[in-house]
Amino acid sequence: MTAAKSTKAPFFRHEFVLVAVIVLEVILFQALGRRFLDGSNVSNIFRFSVEVGLLALAMTPVILTGGIDLSVGSMMGLCAVCFGMLVKDASLSPWVAAVLSIGIGTVGGGLNAFLIARMKLPPLIVTLGTFSLFRGLAEALTKGSKSYSAFPDSFLALGNSTVAGLPAQLWIFFLVAIGIWLLVHRTTLGRSFRAIGYSPEGSRYAGIPVERNLSLAYILTGAVAGLAAVILVARLGEARANAGIGYELLAITAVVLGGTSIFGGSGTIAGTLLGFLAVAILNNGLKRMQDYEIFDKTIASVSNEMSGMLTGLLLLVALAAVPVVKAITARRAKS
Amino acid sequence: MKPLLQLSDIRKSFGAVRALKGVSFDLQPGEVHALLGENGAGKSTLIKVITGAHSPDEGTLVVGEETLRSLTPSKARELGIACIYQQPALFPDLTVAENIGLRLKKTGAFARVNHAARRKQAEELLKRIGADLSPDAEVRSLSMPEQQLVEIACALGSGAKVVIMDEPTASLTQKEQHLLFAVVRDLRKSGVGVVYISHRLEEIFALADRVTVLRDGESVGTNRVDDLDEAAMIKLMVGREVAQLYPPAEGEAGDVVLSLKNLCCAAGGVKGVDLEVRAGEIVGMAGLVGAGRTELARVLFGITPADSGEIRLNGKPLTLSSPREAISHGIAYVPEDRRRHGVILEMPIAHNITMAVHPVLFPGTWLRFKAETELAKDFIRDLGIKAYGPDAPGGSLSGGNQQKVSVSRWLATKPKLLILDEPTQGVDVGAKSEIHKIIRGLAKDGLAVLMISSDLPEVLGMSDRIAVMRGGTVTAVLPGGSDAHEVMAAALGHGGKEVA
Amino acid sequence: MNGKYSREISVAAALGLLLVALALFAPNFYELQPLLSRTTSQMPALVAAIGITLVIITRQIDISIGAQFSLCGVVAGLVAAAGMPLGVAVLAAVGAGAFLGAFNGLLVAWLGLPSIVVTLATMVTWNELLRLWQQGRFMNLPAGFQWFGLSQAAGQGVVIGVAVALLLAAAWSMKNLAAGRRVYATGTDAEAARLAGIDPKWTTFGVFVLMGALAGIAATLNLVQSPQVQPNAGDGLELKVIAAAVVGGVAINGGRGNLWGVLLGLLLLANVNPALTHFKMEPYWERAIQGLVILLAVIADGMKRTKKAA
Repeated sequence: MTAAKSTKAPFFRHEFVLVAVIVLEVILFQALGRRFLDGSNVSNIFRFSVEVGLLALAMTPVILTGGIDLSVGSMMGLCAVCFGMLVKDASLSPWVAAVLSIGIGTVGGGLNAFLIARMKLPPLIVTLGTFSLFRGLAEALTKGSKSYSAFPDSFLALGNSTVAGLPAQLWIFFLVAIGIWLLVHRTTLGRSFRAIGYSPEGSRYAGIPVERNLSLAYILTGAVAGLAAVILVARLGEARANAGIGYELLAITAVVLGGTSIFGGSGTIAGTLLGFLAVAILNNGLKRMQDYEIFDKTIASVSNEMSGMLTGLLLLVALAAVPVVKAITARRAKS
Repeated sequence: MKPLLQLSDIRKSFGAVRALKGVSFDLQPGEVHALLGENGAGKSTLIKVITGAHSPDEGTLVVGEETLRSLTPSKARELGIACIYQQPALFPDLTVAENIGLRLKKTGAFARVNHAARRKQAEELLKRIGADLSPDAEVRSLSMPEQQLVEIACALGSGAKVVIMDEPTASLTQKEQHLLFAVVRDLRKSGVGVVYISHRLEEIFALADRVTVLRDGESVGTNRVDDLDEAAMIKLMVGREVAQLYPPAEGEAGDVVLSLKNLCCAAGGVKGVDLEVRAGEIVGMAGLVGAGRTELARVLFGITPADSGEIRLNGKPLTLSSPREAISHGIAYVPEDRRRHGVILEMPIAHNITMAVHPVLFPGTWLRFKAETELAKDFIRDLGIKAYGPDAPGGSLSGGNQQKVSVSRWLATKPKLLILDEPTQGVDVGAKSEIHKIIRGLAKDGLAVLMISSDLPEVLGMSDRIAVMRGGTVTAVLPGGSDAHEVMAAALGHGGKEVA
Repeated sequence: MNGKYSREISVAAALGLLLVALALFAPNFYELQPLLSRTTSQMPALVAAIGITLVIITRQIDISIGAQFSLCGVVAGLVAAAGMPLGVAVLAAVGAGAFLGAFNGLLVAWLGLPSIVVTLATMVTWNELLRLWQQGRFMNLPAGFQWFGLSQAAGQGVVIGVAVALLLAAAWSMKNLAAGRRVYATGTDAEAARLAGIDPKWTTFGVFVLMGALAGIAATLNLVQSPQVQPNAGDGLELKVIAAAVVGGVAINGGRGNLWGVLLGLLLLANVNPALTHFKMEPYWERAIQGLVILLAVIADGMKRTKKAA
């Protein structure tokens, strides 16, 4: 075995497998579902999943550093509620409110960053705490049930109109994807995320400002969660405390499915995008399966539950595949 | 008398590195047998063979009645071999009694733990070794030597006949040492054989009956301690001729680059260091493990900042509070622990090499892959790094080539002062002399080099001047080409009769 | 070393303060019947908290507890609705829990996957499976199921009795059984445990199985308190019990903590909401306060650590 082979091969193989999974999904849903590959449905796939995609993109740097952020879904809830209050109670223009909401996300990300990078507390438990805190604040601010709606049409267009043939929010997604791709693959900051993920001590010895860079990863995630919240509100026309529930799992699934190591260091934005696509198509495809039943329901009517369950299983399989394949190849190498 | 343990002609290689090239060793009941040798002489490999962590390639072990080709950790324990490491492997959250109990008694998962019996057992064992410890104390609240006492109690409780002590005094105070020595003497009296590893000659004179010296993976002789004096022992340890192996010094030392005045750092145990390093000069830094050399380097690199004293670089006073700051002033540090701090094994060597020069090589934070590859290729060529290309991950390289990558990273910063910490540890002979040539070449180009090394011939052969550290401070600065005995004597704090 | 039990004492003090304040300003907090009902309703959480304490001491985490709890409850409800006796329903719940726990344990102990991601995935998988299967339907339980067919007071007594007995048994075992000590040893230092002849993998696996089984018991203790099975009964349970453990002084990086601290932590957190109500404050703050309390507890741990390191 040459060294060249050992570094390059798994990378390509992983993305190849993902593309195969996506193609398989498309063929399957096209064959079994109704009007899956219609132009309008394809654009719906993206319209309905842009928020998760944004979270997955922003989660990638965090996981590259060997961390995790469980609070992104709750952050969306908090930002959505704040946005609603700013527009409805404070009578601000929705665009000003949007910027402020992203700002609130940034501050929330900053809280995570402070506790994790500065105080060196474990990311898992810190973001589990903020997961609860952010959602709790959203609930407290809306007294558990209040929701804000009737936003101006100009703002709702962000979530429901089409620009140059594509859903408006997809253009924002492209911008963010390009930005984060550049960040991860083309800047010293992205390089340092990997270095920190592989070896935080080694990075410090090489003069990398570990604390600062780690903070930036979490702050970025918070800001993007704020943006995702604004887009979600524009699409639904409603701001409630339960916005984004469970989105952290979808985002983490997309990232891990995309081949980013949960232990940090290796991973690509292209992988995350493919992982996200696989999750999004699964989600949408099930909605098209009106002719099939499970537990006496049409699959389409329970597509949310089905896709949630399958996403969880998908994540487990993606996680388990790495050590299982490793063990098998090790055994084969031995014999 | 029948020996407790007899090793004959043990050989062990790791890849191309031959760690043990035929070592013979025996241990009698009721004796303290010292094992002496420089770093890399093969002591720790030999211990691992005895404790069953490594199986030897050739040779036989006789333990009591049994003749074996190799041991496993559990087999070794069964045969009554116990090892007390420098860093005790205890459970910090559990009590002393519990640590001893967990070690000594294997029970089913649902067996009831008899706390009273455990406590009593611990109390007895601790009393036997004269340790004044409460069985109820949590191990995390104990000092390092107290933890070692717990380890010894475990060894005793398991009925060990062979007790191996690896540098047991490295972190002990004088008083604690006396206590430990009393315990060792007690063990001897009760018929236990002790293998005692130490750098400190005075301890060996105070404690050991016989001494075996290892050098380059071979045993160069076993003697009664009474038959040797200090000089003879040092000669056995150092042995080989050193002169021709090293590239000759060239040129004159220039201006003072680094000057330290009364530098202190309590957290790192650095106490009042005075030192100067000039441009174009290699200052070798000798001393025992734990003398504070790496700690001094960490202060100079801003990892554990100094509390007081003065650091001047090219005459300008500096405060250094982070590696980043140290790098910006032109200080580079090639760390001792290559795998943890030096090279990131999963990353390509090009990325490793440019890691410390991001702000310079990539102004405005955009990566420039072409410049990066060019830089990496330059270093691969100049330092003779054997790799298939700049994309090879660090982990695919041999130890020596990894070290060259680590050095490259720091040369890329164009430093004024290069600190090398054990630059040739775990590196094979060929790569070692290449690294020596590189270091000499750098000095010739006007770099100030501070080279920490526990490899005495390396210090003697490479250095223009030799600074010796002991107890956190520089105790002597000797001219290059000094005699090995002088350096050793300074490192040991000459004399050695203070412990009786 | 200022006090091995400093955390327990400070939590107890906070709890005491809260109770005294309630006694002074909202004495109707202490009316017997509501107090008894509130206590009974916390018992399932107490049983689940025993499990999570063991998991965290082993240096792992399990956020699928709530999902396990819901699923076990539905399984027990279905068995009961099929006309099986109470005992069979309980066994079914415990068995289902142990199976779900074994699934987590397998992935964590033998594949070496991080427990947080594994249990995040199983949490969602079980929750969605349940929603898919039950569609949020409430299932009626046969008569004679509620309060084990006893009077309400006697039933409440049994629920509290079972939970307290489990707590005592677990606390005793953690201290006096080899298995309990192995849990601490594995969480403190898995490598040292291996050297001392303890198999950290089996210990970890066992703890996850036990966690699942306890979730099953907790689910039954919850089930008997109402005439219906709520398919989402376990929502948010994981956070509540993790918060109780962290507040009660269980170190998130393993090896330290005891069940008495967790009991205090749970009592403190459980009284936040009734206190909010009795002080005429909005109850919507509960989750935020829970999050805040988790953060404060980790911060306190972190500061203790840095102080020690310095």
